[in-house]
Amino acid sequence: MDRTIKASCLKVQYQTGNYAVEAVRGASFTLREGKSLGIVGESGSGKTSLALALMGLIDKPHNSSGELMLFGESYLGLSEVKQKHHRWSTIAMMFQNSMEVLNPVMTIGDQLTEKLKERKTISSGQAGREAERLLQLTGLEGWEAKAFPHQLSGGMRQRVLLAMAIAPKPRFLILDEPTSSLDGLAKQDMIRTILSLQKKMDFAMLVISHDVKLIGGLTQEVMVMYGGHIIEKGFTDAVMEKPMHPYTRGLFNASVELSPHKDLWGIPGEYNGNEVHKGCAFYNRCSQRISLCCEQTPELKSVSIEREIACHQKGLINVLRGEAITKHYQIGNRSIPALRKACMNLRHGETIAMVGPSGSGKSTFAKILAGFIQPDEGQVLFNEKKNDLQQLACCEGGVQLVLQDPFSALSHRMTVEEVISEPLKLNGIGNELSRCKRVKETLKALQLDDCEAFLKRYTSSLSGGQRQRVAIARALVMNPKVLIADEITSMLDVSTQANVLRLLKGLQNKNGFALLFITHDLNLARKVADQLLILDRGSVAEEGSAGRILQNSDESQCADMLKAGLADG
Amino acid sequence: MKSLKKLIFFWKARSVSGKMAIIVLVLLITTAIFAPVLTNLPHQRSSGPALEPPGRPHIMGTDQLGIDIWSMIAYGARVSLAVGLGTSLLAGFGGGMVGMLSGWKGGRTDKLIQRLIDIMLALPELPAMIVIAAFFGSSLSNIIIVLALFSWSRPARILRSATLSLKEQPYIKMAAHYGAGTGYIIRKHLIPELFPLLIINMIRLSSMAIVTEASLAFIGLGDPASRSWGLIIHHAVNFQGIFMTSFWKWWLLFPWLFLTLLVTSLALLGRDLESLADPRMLR
Repeated sequence: MDRTIKASCLKVQYQTGNYAVEAVRGASFTLREGKSLGIVGESGSGKTSLALALMGLIDKPHNSSGELMLFGESYLGLSEVKQKHHRWSTIAMMFQNSMEVLNPVMTIGDQLTEKLKERKTISSGQAGREAERLLQLTGLEGWEAKAFPHQLSGGMRQRVLLAMAIAPKPRFLILDEPTSSLDGLAKQDMIRTILSLQKKMDFAMLVISHDVKLIGGLTQEVMVMYGGHIIEKGFTDAVMEKPMHPYTRGLFNASVELSPHKDLWGIPGEYNGNEVHKGCAFYNRCSQRISLCCEQTPELKSVSIEREIACHQKGLINVLRGEAITKHYQIGNRSIPALRKACMNLRHGETIAMVGPSGSGKSTFAKILAGFIQPDEGQVLFNEKKNDLQQLACCEGGVQLVLQDPFSALSHRMTVEEVISEPLKLNGIGNELSRCKRVKETLKALQLDDCEAFLKRYTSSLSGGQRQRVAIARALVMNPKVLIADEITSMLDVSTQANVLRLLKGLQNKNGFALLFITHDLNLARKVADQLLILDRGSVAEEGSAGRILQNSDESQCADMLKAGLADG
Repeated sequence: MKSLKKLIFFWKARSVSGKMAIIVLVLLITTAIFAPVLTNLPHQRSSGPALEPPGRPHIMGTDQLGIDIWSMIAYGARVSLAVGLGTSLLAGFGGGMVGMLSGWKGGRTDKLIQRLIDIMLALPELPAMIVIAAFFGSSLSNIIIVLALFSWSRPARILRSATLSLKEQPYIKMAAHYGAGTGYIIRKHLIPELFPLLIINMIRLSSMAIVTEASLAFIGLGDPASRSWGLIIHHAVNFQGIFMTSFWKWWLLFPWLFLTLLVTSLALLGRDLESLADPRMLR
């Protein structure tokens, strides 16, 4: 017997007035019995529409197409009457919590057993007890069966909805935002209830939510939806550890639950739902788009083991990759190792914090990656190509380095304009006029004055924070793809540090450059980093999602260091 | 307006000896430039009786040929200053450049230039100069070239070491990282930074050059056509039994006085300008 649920090519089109809105544009998945699959996405991404289409609940004049095979049997191909037979007994759905879902003039108990009575699976005499049993299964006490919906709290109603969904013992359960109106404690309780129910009843589960943490707790696999397309699919843990689609990464960065200590940044822009276009749905918000993305909709393709992504560029590009980099310093007759086979991978628009005790080789690594010094062994790849790294500093869209000390990084004999336009001038980019314009734009982006008087000021007359921002401006004026910031805030006071970092993160969010942030301050790293790279005595001790490592600092190999470094460690 | 302000600031920042040195230098330069106005007597031929003590019309007396000494000193100032300026520009600037290049480039270029400087320093200066002057003939330009040839090594060494320490400055490294060539680095970063050091070296060189020119003239290797101060002293000292008479009181004393004044004020100014080497003093 086929024990899988297969959905293929589901499409939903809503007719509103004269024009059609495509809510789901071809979604396919396979789910084994007893397993669970999550769907995450922003609101309006088509999650609920997909669920309704699965249930066969999209009515005329709206259109839905596609096929759902329930354990080997076609479901959506059936006639409405036959579908009704399966609905609620084979496939059930827990609706998003709201007053409208429950009938206000019926008691909870009646509503719970209504369907069962209709199917004649139980008699009306048993109904009362059955309702109580169901409510108790979902963690309620049972008296609620006698109550009317408005007499229950939001959390209670949510449990009632769950009880309702499991009443007919379905083999496939769809949960739409099962915890949206619950507080933290109740949410945990609910997750536990659902998991124990699944264990007991062995149903397949499709969980729809924008709560990434919930998906993490409930599902083994996850699909990310955007604009009606499934754009990423993979094991939940793997996707959360290293999202590969720019949208998924943006979504997770905006999630408080995943990284409670990090600054929140949404994805800039708005989904252009009504616009009918051929290209990738994420095109207008993506920062690594190419011309192909505008012309052709990417297919969901497998990029690695159990990971599929709909992106022409195979997900986030590896902009800067260091492979087995070794560097020794010759001091007298001795050769002091600074780096031993250190590796790193910086992806488009990502922030990696490189942390480690002083003397662990952080600055050396940064300088090698920037092409400032040459490694003894190993290579650095830019956009997966071997390049002369020093050349990358000289062209637009390359790698730029900002040094630690803002006082010595700028010539005190030069004016602000001379300093910032120096890289442009040296490499003959633009003419006098366009250079000046770019300098002004960059200054404005860094919230510095862009008037003539400021441009003509000598850098020696600026404060430390201003100088550091000017130094950052010199790097950003080249529109880099990668910005390497070597302890840029260590010489600044906390307020200036906060300003500089927020500006930098804001610009990163907008322009999409990747940031390699070198620091010894773990609290700062926790605030800004997506990924964490811990260096210890010249080699990479640990690497991975910053949220995961820093929240579970006990399990880390560098637990001592993390404990000592974190404010609440 | 702005430059005037800067000039006033510059003046105020000088010490008393520096100010005096500047005044003396300005006076001497004016003398050299306006020599035909300051004296109406010829400086190359006799204009009165020989060995006349100071008085009217020869305010500083005359030499054994009856040539007015003040005229000779006023015109001779041109020679001395030309030698000082020419040598310091040639040796100071040229040597400074070589030093910067050597420091910045490092490696083989540096080694080569260093060995060359070692050779130049090891060569006994005066004897070599005497030989060269005797060999190539002693025109003014020859003297300047020979002097420059023997004095570029000192500024070169000093600026090389300054460049070496400056080279490690992050902002210069950044400029090189952005693809700046040697020319750009020297022009935009090294020269502005090392200019005060260069100026001091040039002032020192010029006083050294003036003295050396005077010494060459003194031993008879000067340009006989250009009556420099050294040549006046040469003729005076070579006059048989000058110290038995009172002629030295004007014939020898005045040119010596002017020479000392010029060299001393240059030395004092150079000392005073050392504060410029610290760049923050300028602003």
